Amino acid sequence: MKGRKMKTTAAPAAVMVGPVTLWLAFFVAVPLLYVFVMSFCSLDQNYNIVFAFTLDNYARLSDVNYIAIYLQSLIIAFLTTVICLGLAYPFAFLIARTVSKYKAVLYMLVVIPFWTNSLIRIYGWRTFLGANGWLNNALIAMGIISEPLDLLFSKATTVLGMVYCLIPYMVLPLYTAIEKLDKNLLEASADLGAKKLTTYRKIVIPLTASGIFSGSIMVFIPCLGLFFVSDILGGGNSDIIGNLIERQFQSGNNWPLGSALSIILIAVTLLLVKLYQKCGGDMESLGV
Amino acid sequence: MKKKLISLLLAAVSVLTLTACGASTVKTEAGKGSLNIFVWTEYVPESVIKGFEEKTGITVNVSTFSTNEDMLAKVKAESEGAFDIVQPSDYMVKQMIDQGMLEKLDAAKLTNIGNIGTAYLKPSYDPTGEYSMPYLGGVGGIAVNTAKIADTITSYNDLFNPKYSKSLVVLDDFRATIGMTARSMGLSMNETDPAKLAEIKTKLLTLKDIVKLYDSDSPKSALISGDCTLGFCWSAEIALAMEENPDIKIVYPSEGAFLFMDNWCVPKGAKNYDAAMEFINYMMEAETSKAVSEEFPYLNPNTAATALLGSEYTNNPAKNPPADVISKGEFVQNLDTATIAIYDEMWTALKQ
Amino acid sequence: MGRNAKLRTGQTAGKLYCLLIYLFLFLPIAVIVVNSFNDTTSKPYLSWKGFTFDWYLKLFDNTALLGSFGNTMIIAVANTLLATCIGTLAAVGMYKYKFRGKTIIDSLLYIPVVIPEIVMGISLLTLFSKTNIPRGMLTLILAHVTFSIPFVIFNVRARLAGYDNSIEEASLDLGANRMQTFFRITLPVLAPGIGGGALLAFTLSLDDVIISYFTNGQTKTFPLKVMESIKSGVAPDINALSTLILIGTILLVVFTQRTSMNRKDNKEGK
Repeated sequence: MKGRKMKTTAAPAAVMVGPVTLWLAFFVAVPLLYVFVMSFCSLDQNYNIVFAFTLDNYARLSDVNYIAIYLQSLIIAFLTTVICLGLAYPFAFLIARTVSKYKAVLYMLVVIPFWTNSLIRIYGWRTFLGANGWLNNALIAMGIISEPLDLLFSKATTVLGMVYCLIPYMVLPLYTAIEKLDKNLLEASADLGAKKLTTYRKIVIPLTASGIFSGSIMVFIPCLGLFFVSDILGGGNSDIIGNLIERQFQSGNNWPLGSALSIILIAVTLLLVKLYQKCGGDMESLGV
Repeated sequence: MKKKLISLLLAAVSVLTLTACGASTVKTEAGKGSLNIFVWTEYVPESVIKGFEEKTGITVNVSTFSTNEDMLAKVKAESEGAFDIVQPSDYMVKQMIDQGMLEKLDAAKLTNIGNIGTAYLKPSYDPTGEYSMPYLGGVGGIAVNTAKIADTITSYNDLFNPKYSKSLVVLDDFRATIGMTARSMGLSMNETDPAKLAEIKTKLLTLKDIVKLYDSDSPKSALISGDCTLGFCWSAEIALAMEENPDIKIVYPSEGAFLFMDNWCVPKGAKNYDAAMEFINYMMEAETSKAVSEEFPYLNPNTAATALLGSEYTNNPAKNPPADVISKGEFVQNLDTATIAIYDEMWTALKQ
Repeated sequence: MGRNAKLRTGQTAGKLYCLLIYLFLFLPIAVIVVNSFNDTTSKPYLSWKGFTFDWYLKLFDNTALLGSFGNTMIIAVANTLLATCIGTLAAVGMYKYKFRGKTIIDSLLYIPVVIPEIVMGISLLTLFSKTNIPRGMLTLILAHVTFSIPFVIFNVRARLAGYDNSIEEASLDLGANRMQTFFRITLPVLAPGIGGGALLAFTLSLDDVIISYFTNGQTKTFPLKVMESIKSGVAPDINALSTLILIGTILLVVFTQRTSMNRKDNKEGK
């Protein structure tokens, strides 16, 4: 930063940073702390919270059934991330490097669907894939099949919904990273005799690694909590951690257990972020 | 450029907001107070609510829930008096009375009480009848799409046949579905013996492959669309599905079915108590109850209404479950928190 | 095959691929738009029964639905204003001044961005429940501002990266006080970052489902109203409203693109 640095005077600093500090303290730090405390509490017969330290909730959550759901959530998140990456990378590459005069339009076309309500778009998939839905009716009308395909309410449909919801979070970081690629590097590589595939492997992908990592993390983590996708498209039989938490704060009436689940989810999130940072990920690029 | 963009956005947004606000403020300004009701999904027709609003000028704010436990959680989570009317089922009424969560109903204001069949007044879950007024009830019946399923289904147990893999829709309600499993084994829906519960769990988990969809809100949708060919659903949902698709038939299980009766209650601290009384009384009018039954054909305890509905209601076994089904059936009862925890584990294991 | 031919096949394959991806992205939207013209009156409103404009008219009778949309708009605007103000001030303040606890604030900022929304939702619900703040419009706005502030700050920070402080120095030397300098010099330079952050805050607020689900009390927002309808069957008036919103958004984008291009032309001294 050029120029003489401002003197540190308390008043302007407090005025500028004060509001956000108070806000973060009251609406982020305190609630999370409270959730942490609640995870060690239990319930009485009337479903009211008892403030006596106990590890019961965590013990319950180490049960085989719960572990199976954690694993399922991680697998679904992993599949979603890999599919998003596979689909989005070539797409982002082509759009970012196009010389067409419609480049801005193409970019906007990616973003526009996501200004329509996400729930209703997920519901659109239900209308499309149902036994009496568009796809099945079309295929039957064309004589390709005689009985409707069983496409809805399975784990695969849940993954489809997750991919659909989260793919822009993969496309946008990739687009930003790919746009920064220096064309000259690619030309130089070709001039030096490298085949296209080698160029991609040795130059393009490493240089866009930051985009790949931030995209992956922005897809993987939300995937663990997107309960409405598994509800609407999964039919309720592909529960993820998000569903478990939602259930304990709703019908389960068990806020301490739900809090413990949330702490476990936060722990998993922090681990993934640490991994991301170890791989050289840049925290700044996550929010833009 | 940015200034223009921002001012443009603000302009567009203000126009949209004003229109929408205009729509809602007109309503509240003209009204004589409001009423916050918390009811089951697919249970109270919009036409009936509009009728009440027009008659009294009171604005009704409707929120919905899918299970009794959802309702209890939300009522507890919100500040006292957030809701004026709730709609708990039998066992939930008792639980709320025990926890001191309900206001007594003002009998003097409920002038239409004569319309309700005496058999339904002062039930076991509310012996004094001071806290609840029956609304609608029914049975957890079996729906069969006879065009796709050739076999004869007669019991809950028949649903556990692996050949029906991925074709069943069940209620997303742990007491109902676990209870159904218990009934299929000849056990009680309110079993507490850990050994028996372990057996129920084993059988329950076999359902994992058979169930395609868990839906407490509108299980008929899956039956009508053909996504599911078998169902364990609320009786009226089956009745409505039968009207849309005549191939769908209702079967009452030989083991004895899951019964329920839903009620109007007023939570403690309700802010609009008088409006709530007026609403409950309005819902008990014969004409209103008839309109309700025409849209949601459940078992109707309002004898004045059923007289108006005639044979279309009385002779339809899905709308009006036969007396022997009711006598063989079982209601859900409250259980202690430790046992509920076991039921909760079973449910988590199933839905994974 | 000659090199040119290979290139062309490659290019066509590329174009086809992009087309397929766009189809994938727009498929549910097509379903929504088409279904808004569905002449059906029976739940679950899934089978096609004929073409009609009726639902666009019925939409304006549905006061509950319009009310929920109005709520969403109010919340989005309030959220954008609050978050942008707090966030911009904070970003500039943090950039200029050194003080203790800066790293803590920095880390706290990442939490709403990185953590799954459901955790934010339940923690805020717990807070409001414990402090007896009745859930409704107020708690919705508070919740939305909480997750919007970090995004505003990151966007403004990105713009601050190349910031040259000497203009501010010059302004102060010429006699302007700190407030005047801030509003007349600093803000205009940061405007694109602020605009980007504000737009992001607005967009996130419009479509927020999970956090609103836990903090709304009885207030319905548009996404929550849709969620409620999905349970019993989505009546085509919701499709109609979504289609109208989509058209409005597209028009807005087209308009702003045009304006920015005109401005560019004007700047280039036509």
